Amino acid sequence: MSTATTTRNAEAASDLLRRLRGPNNEGILALILIGLVVVTSIANPTFFSVPTMFAVLRNSIVPLIFALGVLIVIISGGIDVSFPAIAVFAAYSTVRAAGDIVDPGLVGAFAFALALGALLGLLNGVVIARFRLPTLIVTLGSQGIFVGVLLTYVGSRYVAELPGSLAALSKTNLLEVSSDGRNAFLHVMIVPAVLMCLFVSWLLRRTMFGRGVYAIGGDVEAARRAGFPVVRIQLFIYVLVGMMAATAGVIYMIMGRSASPRDMAGSELDIIAAVVLGGASIFGGRGSVLGTVLGVLVIQVIGSSLILAGVPSAWQRAAVGGLLLVGVGVQAVAARRSARHRRVVRTEEAVA
Amino acid sequence: MTSKTDDRTATPMEGIDDRYQSLLRRVHVDRTTGRMLLLTVLTFGLFAALNPRVFLNPLNLQNIAVAAPEIGVLAIAMMLAMLTGGIDLSLVAIANLSAITISMTYTAVAKDDPGLAESLMPLLALEGVLVGVAAGAVNGLLVSRVGITPILATLGTMQVFNGIAVAWTGGSTLYGLPQSLADLGMSTVGGVPVLFLVFLLVAVATGLFVARTPAGLRAQLQGANPVAAKFSGIESSSVLMRTYTVAGALGGLAGVLFIARNPTASADYGASYVLLVIVIAVLGGTNPAGGFATVAGVVLATLTLQVLASGFTAMRLSAYEYAIAQGVILIVVMVTDQVRWRRRRGPRRSAPSDAAVPPNSHQTLNSGRQS
Repeated sequence: MSTATTTRNAEAASDLLRRLRGPNNEGILALILIGLVVVTSIANPTFFSVPTMFAVLRNSIVPLIFALGVLIVIISGGIDVSFPAIAVFAAYSTVRAAGDIVDPGLVGAFAFALALGALLGLLNGVVIARFRLPTLIVTLGSQGIFVGVLLTYVGSRYVAELPGSLAALSKTNLLEVSSDGRNAFLHVMIVPAVLMCLFVSWLLRRTMFGRGVYAIGGDVEAARRAGFPVVRIQLFIYVLVGMMAATAGVIYMIMGRSASPRDMAGSELDIIAAVVLGGASIFGGRGSVLGTVLGVLVIQVIGSSLILAGVPSAWQRAAVGGLLLVGVGVQAVAARRSARHRRVVRTEEAVA
Repeated sequence: MTSKTDDRTATPMEGIDDRYQSLLRRVHVDRTTGRMLLLTVLTFGLFAALNPRVFLNPLNLQNIAVAAPEIGVLAIAMMLAMLTGGIDLSLVAIANLSAITISMTYTAVAKDDPGLAESLMPLLALEGVLVGVAAGAVNGLLVSRVGITPILATLGTMQVFNGIAVAWTGGSTLYGLPQSLADLGMSTVGGVPVLFLVFLLVAVATGLFVARTPAGLRAQLQGANPVAAKFSGIESSSVLMRTYTVAGALGGLAGVLFIARNPTASADYGASYVLLVIVIAVLGGTNPAGGFATVAGVVLATLTLQVLASGFTAMRLSAYEYAIAQGVILIVVMVTDQVRWRRRRGPRRSAPSDAAVPPNSHQTLNSGRQS
């Protein structure tokens, strides 16, 4: 009897452990994040303060919105590298239009940017969904087209002053905290970022569209046979990602208080790394908003702690690359081990 | 279909033989090569007609022949990775790392003994290639032993190699290199730049490797159908390891070409080459999903795009317009291949079957996705 209780206890403990670990290793990532913060704080006590926390959050806003879009694409089994191009295209065009023609106000500016983002995303979606082409290569191509069209036909001028409606938001803070004589500000743009997290989480978990995204990522053919409108869902995914990228682009320019058509180039890899670190499977079908949020935060914390430690920014790039390799490497090894385990079980069954 | 598969597993040797025959046929009489040749001639003719004075200038033609090799060698390396159903995004970073290593070593040796550093030229070039081999081996290990998808593995190593290069150089441009290497970059044999001859040599060697050696055949089979390859007794991990190492070696060689042509080395040289090289490989008839590629097609595609680039310059169009053209070409080529393949298969729409992966079909939604 006592053995039964022990096994039950052990089972309960392992069950609890499994639940804490989360379906996509979110628990492990949270542990890594906490460990990082603790280690950095011990090495450099100034790190553990409200201003630093707010700074990390502030730096996470734009990557987080990008990452949510990339998350949807990756769950559906694709890879998108054109989202920074869409973001800069939509945001810069909006700023130029508002500056040169007429200031449409905050809502108008966002609506214009969203429309542009949706249109560019639709172009991606049509080519990918209609012709079933490899997503990475299509978006590599479309990224070249978007940036080329932007610089050739929209403009290549650096805009130092945003139109009034957007500029007003640049210095608006949600929260002000003074600690140790230093003032800490939490930028108001954290609000749309959090709202989008909740929205995407709801979309993925509670709607038929979300089910479809996971189904397509798991197996396109199975999803088709199960009756999911694969082409329509894929189109919608890329339109949605385009709109999210456009939002992130406008927020980026609001927070940076300027607009340049060369902004954000090369940021796609950091974002993809964050999403993959966050437990999303690059083969599709798996991933969560919580994991993505943690992934983005881990990368931001590593970035700011490297700066505090005085590591040249050049190494940050290598660090993110190394982190990506470790993250996917662990995933790959785990997947292989579970496949082998399954095979062993199956052979045992066959023998029996 | 089931019985067919059974037959094949029953007599694997016969299966290999059949596939070998059909693959050889495809390699030798490929329609894409013909189409590519036509496209090259048309592009050349178009710009020659539009602006003959600038475009047909011997200097311009020589510029094309000097600029093409580095891109062409990278495209051939990309083609090899795609042949096995993968991709190598780290090639440009490898090439830059190779060029930087050459320059750094030269400067270090030349500080004490300039004469010795100068005489080390062949060794330095070899060192560049070896850097590429080492970097390619890292890719190969990650893809074949750890089992990371090629896209992600090379995305990560691209960041790492690039980070190392930036940190090493401090972001500055390096100018140190043996004079003889720079001379080599400018010299010609019978009017043809030496760099271009190197490119042709690489192309012929790779062509023979892919079409005529057992290792090349295994790489093709691995890309065409990894499962069938496995059941045919092909050790996929050693095939992938070899492919990425060779691709890395070619990347290192491209680094030697970089520094010989420019003659400088920096961490962020050729940032636009990643897209360009993929465009060339796909335009040259490489199936990004794996299994089919022709070196002749890639060589012609390299020339076409280089002609296009120089034609754009002759027409006073900007680099951004060239980027647009690249993107449009990439997508149009893939779409037309796809449409043509569907039409050939008839109106009957069915699930893509593994038994008949067509050349250039890009049937799989996501290349390199076989786990």
